[in-house]
Amino acid sequence: MKLMKLIFFVVIGISSLSAFAEKQDILIKNATVITSTDQGVLDETDVLIKKGIISSIGKDINSEEAIIINAKGRILTAGLLAPVTNLGLIEIELEAETRDDRTDHFSAGFSISSAFNSSSTLIPYNRTAGITSAIVFPSSGRGKVFSGLGSVFKTHGNIDTQSIFTDIAMVMQMGGNTDSRASIFLELEDAFLKSKQFKKSRNMIQRGGFFDSGEYSERDLEALLGLMEKRKPLIVKTNRASDMLRMIEFAKVHEINIIFHGAKEAWRIADRLAEENIAVIIDPMDNIPSSFDSIGARIDGASILTESGVTVLIGIADAHNSFLSRQGAGNAVANGMDQYEAIKALTINIAQVFGLADSIGSIEIGKNADLVLWDGDPLEVSTFSDAVIIDGIIMSNMTRSKRLRDRYLRVIGLD
Amino acid sequence: MILNPKYSSLVIALVLILFGTISAQSKINEKVLINYAYESTYKPEESSKIIITNANILTGNGDSILDASILMHKNKIVAVGKDLDQSDATVIDAEGKWVTPGIIDIHSHMGVYPAPSLRSNSDGNEATSPTTPHVWAEHSVWTQDPQYTLALKGGITSFHVLVGSANLIGGRGVTLKNVRSRTVQGMKFPNAPYSLKMACGENPKRVYGGRDSEPSTRMGNVAGYRKAWIEAQEYQRSWLEYANTPDEDIEVSDIPSRDIGLETMVGVLEGDILVQMHCYRGEEMAVMLDVAKEFDYKITTFHHAIEAYKVADILAQNSVCAAMWADWWGFKHEAFDMVWENTAIVDQAENKTGCAIVHSDSAVGIQRLNQEAAKALAAGQKAGLDLNRERAIQWITSNPAKALGIDDQVGSIEPGKMADVVIWSDDPFSVYSRAERVFIDGHLKFNIDDPDSFQRTDFDIGIIDPEGDRL
Repeated sequence: MKLMKLIFFVVIGISSLSAFAEKQDILIKNATVITSTDQGVLDETDVLIKKGIISSIGKDINSEEAIIINAKGRILTAGLLAPVTNLGLIEIELEAETRDDRTDHFSAGFSISSAFNSSSTLIPYNRTAGITSAIVFPSSGRGKVFSGLGSVFKTHGNIDTQSIFTDIAMVMQMGGNTDSRASIFLELEDAFLKSKQFKKSRNMIQRGGFFDSGEYSERDLEALLGLMEKRKPLIVKTNRASDMLRMIEFAKVHEINIIFHGAKEAWRIADRLAEENIAVIIDPMDNIPSSFDSIGARIDGASILTESGVTVLIGIADAHNSFLSRQGAGNAVANGMDQYEAIKALTINIAQVFGLADSIGSIEIGKNADLVLWDGDPLEVSTFSDAVIIDGIIMSNMTRSKRLRDRYLRVIGLD
Repeated sequence: MILNPKYSSLVIALVLILFGTISAQSKINEKVLINYAYESTYKPEESSKIIITNANILTGNGDSILDASILMHKNKIVAVGKDLDQSDATVIDAEGKWVTPGIIDIHSHMGVYPAPSLRSNSDGNEATSPTTPHVWAEHSVWTQDPQYTLALKGGITSFHVLVGSANLIGGRGVTLKNVRSRTVQGMKFPNAPYSLKMACGENPKRVYGGRDSEPSTRMGNVAGYRKAWIEAQEYQRSWLEYANTPDEDIEVSDIPSRDIGLETMVGVLEGDILVQMHCYRGEEMAVMLDVAKEFDYKITTFHHAIEAYKVADILAQNSVCAAMWADWWGFKHEAFDMVWENTAIVDQAENKTGCAIVHSDSAVGIQRLNQEAAKALAAGQKAGLDLNRERAIQWITSNPAKALGIDDQVGSIEPGKMADVVIWSDDPFSVYSRAERVFIDGHLKFNIDDPDSFQRTDFDIGIIDPEGDRL
């Protein structure tokens, strides 16, 4: 009990040998707990995990059965969420056969939930860096507009990893290609119209009637109906302010929820976004005016947005380094964003916007015990995780990268 | 007329021969031949006396000097230490903040792949033939790339612009100072040697193999380099032969034709042009060292050296630097074996004689090269290696300066060097740290508190709002 490393070692041994073994209780003692809730930061606080769930938070909690982790001087956060990532769908970008993030067959209804590779090397790598859940989306579907549907996966790496929430949101892109953006709006209109007609024709179709679904499959039209009927969010990848304004109007007409992704010029319409309660997913480090759609890109965008009351989610486009959202958040803070808001942008904001907040995204009683214990400020580039816990199980902290490191430290004579 | 002493002795010798002996050839354009027609025109105004006091200095030479001052005058660092004479100097109180040499990025495509990334400005890869030593990156540089300003705000004072990696032998790279000018010559780092960009691995074979042409394999790559060097050696020989021919035996038809590509390659063989080689995999680096041995040239740096840690001892033994990212990986198979400790292992190899460089290759990364170095430092320390800030700052200052052949002029804070200095708001190895003041040649080029302190590129003016500036 005095030798924490020993305890970690034993627990890791147990959990990796039998991932489905009875979950042991864990008591984290004296951590600085960044809750991601209205409770803010709790100093010298204990967190008790029972059966994979956070069961109590407070001072001087005791437990006979629990493994005890002495976290004095260290910081505990909720496990980080990667919003809009290809984690589990891509191993190597330039090797097409290692990619499951694209299709030529489906568009709006392209669900990737069956393609998640829990044995991907990207998963332990990002997990040890703090990512415990990934909201996994396809990159592109048939056509230029809709990419498809995203699902949520935990990063424990169990061989039979299934999505914990399936087809929760749709992603689409706008701008940046040679077709007019006006044409994209027209296509959106047509697609929504078609899906509404499809809804009216369901009975007729069941009776064997013919419905011309045009270029969309019935699966695609069902997915679009899901946006309107179930208010699943539509993630709109765009950077230009005018696109966002037009899209806000479109969303009102069709009664759908939208989230902007990329959104380099979102700061220009921050008040409007706040008024309409529309969240944005941004990479605070990407301040490059990389196209004429993103001329307004700036380093303090996240700060301007949060100051205006917009819900900001921080995510990195690169699946391999999804965890660099932490560095993104740190840079946002360096450029004016409130530090606590930045932590929320990596955790609870993501969970709330995607409707996952009942189970993940913050340190609250009753939530899944997805937690990260850090050896320092979680937004600092020199900080590492000491322990990553998913569903109350302490995860292995090994990665292929660390194995290679250790092998070559020996080869080079530095061990 | 000032000749760059580093410039090819061979070519200069040829000029003397041509002019000294053959009157018929006196009309050969001397300026074209030795390329100083393309010389830097950057001449900073003489800077006034400025003293930065109460500074914690990471010198870039591997040590730190706490609570000291830096005196700058006439574009140079004049003195570093305690109790310096402040008379006539403008005093800038660093208030105990960290001060470093100006940050140097050895791998940039700013200007040749500017923002916005328009097809019309995509000028970094002459991907029409696998061997294009005749092209020069500087002839593609757009002087109004808004990325320069973003990099300046990250403390970048010099950067090396390379051609892309589509080709086995891609062309000449150029070192620029991060100063605004209407001309690329006005940005060129005075008297910096040129580089020759070469590329290993997947890129050339993908670009040309995809067109059913050579190279389509790694062995095709190596055959391609060797063929090109044989040609360069022959070219070198033909000029030497010509130079050694007695005057009376020379006929006009004996004068070899100029080949600007082979001139560049001969520049490498002569040791005047530095090879900067894109190479990810360990065994490919080792093969390239053999190619260099066969043709008796030197590889200065392997860039994007994801697997440098696998051959860190070999690199140190051969005095070759490795320029690396902190954590990019996986976008192609040769980038699959990334380790966070790469930079640290290269640094520590062979009794700490390795030459490690952190580079960006990215307009996002170049704005926070200090953070990239911080990640690499933290990973090395976590792995138990004997590293500190003093050593790690060299990865983005004196080591790239050395690998660019400009370490006699920049890369450290010491008397006689160009006054390229950054004052940081916080520990430069922290994510929260920002470059507060950036001096280039003794002039304050960026002050975080003064939006008028930096010169915007043309691109940034009136583009989002006709009344205002983009940033």
